[in-house]
Amino acid sequence: MGTTTEVAPRAPRRVWDWLLAPRDLAALVFFRVALGLMVAVSMARLLAFGWVDSLFARPAFHFTYWGFGWVHALPAPWLHAVFAAVGVLGVFLAVGLFYRLTVALLFVAFTYVQLVDVSNYLNHYYLVSLLLGLLFFIPAHGAFSVDAWRRPGLRRDWLPAWCTYLLRFQVAVVYVNAGLAKLTSDWLLHAQPLHIWLSARTSLPLVGPLLEQRWVAYGAAWAGFLFDTTIVAFMLVRRLRPFAYGAVLGFHAATSVLFPIGMFPVIMSTAALAFFEPSWPRRLVARLRALVTRRPRPEPLPVPESSGGGASPGWKGRMGLGVAVAYGLLQLLLPLRAHLYGGNVLWHEQGMRFSWRVMAREKNGSVTFVVRAPATGREWHVSPREYLTRLQEREMSVQPDLILQLAHRIARDFEARGLGPVEVRADARVSLNGRPAVLFVDPEVDLAREEEGVAPKRWILPAPESPPVRLRAHRAPGSSGFSWTQVAPHPPSASEAERNDSTSGNFGSRDCTVRLKAPVPLPWMMRTSSTPS
Amino acid sequence: MEHTRSHPRAARRTAGMLLLAVLTLLPACREGGTKPPVVVPGATARTELLGAAGACVLTTAREFQAAAVELDTAVAALAARPEARTREAARAAYHRAMEAWQVVEVMQVGPAARRALPGGADVRDNIYSWPLVSRCAVEEQLVSRGYESADFPTAPLVNRRGLFPLEYLLFHEGGDTACPASSPVVSGGGWAALSAEELAARKRAYAAVLAADVRRRAARLVEAWETDKGGFSRTLETAGTGNAVFPTTQAALNALSDALFYVETEVKDKKLAVPLGLRDCAGDTCPEALESPFTGRSKANLRANLVGLRRLTEGCGAGYAGTGFDDVLVAVGSETLATKLRERAVAAEAALAAIEEADLRDALDQDKASMRALYDAVKGVTDVLKTEFVTVLDLELPEGTDGDND
Repeated sequence: MGTTTEVAPRAPRRVWDWLLAPRDLAALVFFRVALGLMVAVSMARLLAFGWVDSLFARPAFHFTYWGFGWVHALPAPWLHAVFAAVGVLGVFLAVGLFYRLTVALLFVAFTYVQLVDVSNYLNHYYLVSLLLGLLFFIPAHGAFSVDAWRRPGLRRDWLPAWCTYLLRFQVAVVYVNAGLAKLTSDWLLHAQPLHIWLSARTSLPLVGPLLEQRWVAYGAAWAGFLFDTTIVAFMLVRRLRPFAYGAVLGFHAATSVLFPIGMFPVIMSTAALAFFEPSWPRRLVARLRALVTRRPRPEPLPVPESSGGGASPGWKGRMGLGVAVAYGLLQLLLPLRAHLYGGNVLWHEQGMRFSWRVMAREKNGSVTFVVRAPATGREWHVSPREYLTRLQEREMSVQPDLILQLAHRIARDFEARGLGPVEVRADARVSLNGRPAVLFVDPEVDLAREEEGVAPKRWILPAPESPPVRLRAHRAPGSSGFSWTQVAPHPPSASEAERNDSTSGNFGSRDCTVRLKAPVPLPWMMRTSSTPS
Repeated sequence: MEHTRSHPRAARRTAGMLLLAVLTLLPACREGGTKPPVVVPGATARTELLGAAGACVLTTAREFQAAAVELDTAVAALAARPEARTREAARAAYHRAMEAWQVVEVMQVGPAARRALPGGADVRDNIYSWPLVSRCAVEEQLVSRGYESADFPTAPLVNRRGLFPLEYLLFHEGGDTACPASSPVVSGGGWAALSAEELAARKRAYAAVLAADVRRRAARLVEAWETDKGGFSRTLETAGTGNAVFPTTQAALNALSDALFYVETEVKDKKLAVPLGLRDCAGDTCPEALESPFTGRSKANLRANLVGLRRLTEGCGAGYAGTGFDDVLVAVGSETLATKLRERAVAAEAALAAIEEADLRDALDQDKASMRALYDAVKGVTDVLKTEFVTVLDLELPEGTDGDND
């Protein structure tokens, strides 16, 4: 992007000047070191906790990404070697050794690890892959690196501003989309699934008793939504930045304590530093050094002239800008693709991945594959456990494309055993955010004949229209002289009463069913009673 | 002043009447239980459940221990005086012990569970290792008289001891062997060399060793749970910060809910699906895969399993009174799910009762549809466990791998 040749027209020139304005390299160096260390620590955790075995090596069946069926899991010793190599490369990145090669290898190896099995998909590991990809184009080894120490020609104090902007854009995409993903009635009007999650963490010291309070869940839900959607704007305002970053640290510390989200809080807290002035590490070090040595702080670095110099970019610069814009558009549009499918993405999951829908739903399913040989009429029931680990089964049970992949595998297996061709149907029931479990996919559709792909899956049944489970509100012990108990009945399903085969035909059952079809009480119709505790 | 004070009273009276109305209406819709809804905070309910579940497992283990003592006594009497009366007494004692054990089967938490699990001590497999059983392995012991060895009780192979070999030894009177021709006991002629009397004598002696072993292990299980000994019930009840086994209440609840999944992995998938020919079965049905082949009590086992399930999900008292998972569901506000869970369990019991044949082997042969209906009813229970139950209580499925999330 730095190549310029001729004088550019005024408006484009301003853009180029803005993109190519020199910025202190220090923040990007800090980011390089931090990212390298985070990758190394992540790999160390995966190896130390035995997760490489349990998540990657042990499964006999791996779910592949559409178009990446050619990516296979290496056998166990090699797989461990890949994780160890990624960890070592993380250290290389941190110390800035063989930077370009290291970043390229890291990107490939880390992305390979993610591609091995869809059921291991995590938003924050996807983010790490993207950040590694971006680092390849950012020469963040110009200082505080072994490369710069070995080759003085590499040393520099400045990088064009686009390097910082690219990083900020990526972080902003994550936060804003994570916030928009919470723009649902479940999250904002029912505080679910947060209330479910928080209610299960009441044994935490100090805050535990508060966590099953409904107001806490609502407060946390709205705080999370407002934080994610607005934090980028606050971080961009210089005067508010320290306070906003305090909120970033508080938010991620809280989520780290409450939820098993591994490295995500650390990654995001580090990545959010991209919004500070690029020279913040240099100033911080200078301030600390002045404190220790009691000498005056050194003068700030003289700012060099913009490398743009008012000239128009050459073809390399234009191509670079084009690639950057294309990447940006992809990052903006990819999370929005879920809307093309209509319906509730948390239910049908089409467009769910790579969309930063972080911790947006609590969903569990029960799937049994019903295999039938049309030639003989023989029927078998296949439990996913025959193929999957429990973690894989949990993920598969709520993600239609994974159900389809396993159905295809089962069909192939039966045919290989000489029992085919067979039809494979799924008896899949799913509960979303505590709603009553309902059929997830059409049990009449032969999944063995359905194609994988990005086209809408017509065999996914509509999401339930009832609200999520409404957990009871309780006052924290000792918070007042009264204990409050919701006495209005739990709102029945807004759609229809559920048939209960065991009691059908029974008069009492019919009576209760009629009662279950009563109108759903509106929030202001809910009554509470207060009694001295 | 009086006027202003009357408002809260009126409000309380109205609220009280409303509460009364709701409480009187709710039980009418509950098919499976009669417990009045006692609403306590979710955290309190969770802790109460852990305490109640610990007491329940201990009570159930004591029931089994009493039956194991009786079994040991009866089998020792049979070994000492082999006659029809002592044989029948030993067989009756076996049935009672198995009846009690099948309730414990659904309570594989803590010491009964596998060592890899929190507080696990492998007690279960050493008492009853089904489906990891081998008639041939038992017959090899009969030939080698390995049961007389001093280290037999500590030998690692669980399919040579416990209730399954006991069932074979007490109930199978034939002189045939299940070992293949390649087995040393067949190819070496050891089995063929055993006279009918010698075989019967060895069976009695082996049974006596096993019954004594089961009695010891039952006592060990009870001690492990007793507050003044192993104290596992205390460990379960005090889950939370500072508890080395269950650092959180949720971890303890998870261990407890894991135990419930016995109904899925063993009852539905092994005890029913395989014999029904729905999986792992080459023929239309696989009666040989039924549990308890020598006593024909596979149906009774299932009934006891459902009792174990209901004790944990509803309560351990008479008529399933007491604290169970359903109380936690009510406490967190999910009465509908609590009711559904009870109804599904009752439906499974009803489906089991609807099978007219005393033995599922006969049901498979004569009334496969009723057994399939039982499978579907049990699936109705496991579907609820795997979906709404774990969702509302934010539980993990058993054998779930730890890992990051987002």
